[in-house]
Amino acid sequence: MGLLSLLRKLRSNPDLELRILLLGLDNAGKTTLLKVLASEDITHITPTQGFNIKSVQSKGFKLNVWDIGGQRRIRPYWKNYFENTDILIYVIDSADRKRFEETGEELTELFEEEKLGVPVLVFANKQDLMNAARSSEIADGLNLNSIRDRAWQIQPCSAVTGEGVKEGIDWMTQACNKKK
Amino acid sequence: MDEAHGEKSLLPSLETDLTWQSNNPFGGPTSSTLLNHRSIPEKEHEARVPKKILKCRAVSREINFSSKEPMDKFRLEQRVLFKGKCLEEWFFDFGFVIPGSTNTWQSLIEAAPESQMMPANVLNGNVVIETRFYDEEMCVSVSKVRIFYV
Repeated sequence: MGLLSLLRKLRSNPDLELRILLLGLDNAGKTTLLKVLASEDITHITPTQGFNIKSVQSKGFKLNVWDIGGQRRIRPYWKNYFENTDILIYVIDSADRKRFEETGEELTELFEEEKLGVPVLVFANKQDLMNAARSSEIADGLNLNSIRDRAWQIQPCSAVTGEGVKEGIDWMTQACNKKK
Repeated sequence: MDEAHGEKSLLPSLETDLTWQSNNPFGGPTSSTLLNHRSIPEKEHEARVPKKILKCRAVSREINFSSKEPMDKFRLEQRVLFKGKCLEEWFFDFGFVIPGSTNTWQSLIEAAPESQMMPANVLNGNVVIETRFYDEEMCVSVSKVRIFYV
């Protein structure tokens, strides 16, 4: 995959700069996903205590992917990173059933943010784990089908095995290119 | 950060690590780590990097920084100086920095195919990479690294 190839796909968007925001609870797999997008090694990933940004620049086009830590202490600061976001990727640990309610509450709050009225890709991550909930079950639990004000997609994936990541990115590319 | 600043009492505590890497242009594994240091502000560091980076079409730069204090408009200016003259410059706005946070920024720039690079023996020891960190207009850290191509 690699971010340069993603950037090439996104070029049909007339914007010269694209900003993707990755949010979700701690341990959902945001940083792993970011590294998978950049085709990097994922063996040494520690909890994010701030942000991780990956910027790619080629022929005048810029792509910035922002991964913000999901710990409870950090979540109140998420709002500082909404501005100019083109796409939100929300990552859920599909095996962490105990926190489905918590992640749902956070996502609902994000949907209410005026500055963040952008297409949303929900990654139902960790599908490689035995006890992972199916994405349809998560979509029902989050009541995603009631969303009318934006494009959204839920994509089952495993950042660790790479399964489903490409499909999610394809949807995101389409949504980005359609938006303007 | 530390004593090297004149107005240290006003400055947020910022620690930075800088890494420059030559990358596979298609986002593959990093081929070589060029520079990794804990920057001491105002002091010039030296780094020895393999000549072959000059042939790389995509170069990745990574900066890690920690800040105890929140910052509202954090940004950086990075310049490549050849004998003190600016050859290239990049800017990046981070915006808000979370108090007590550790953050990373990795930037991958694909060079234009037509871009001309001076030979390593001309560049050797004459290139300084200067990174200035600001909170709005206040400079909070400067890092200078002189590059030797080996």
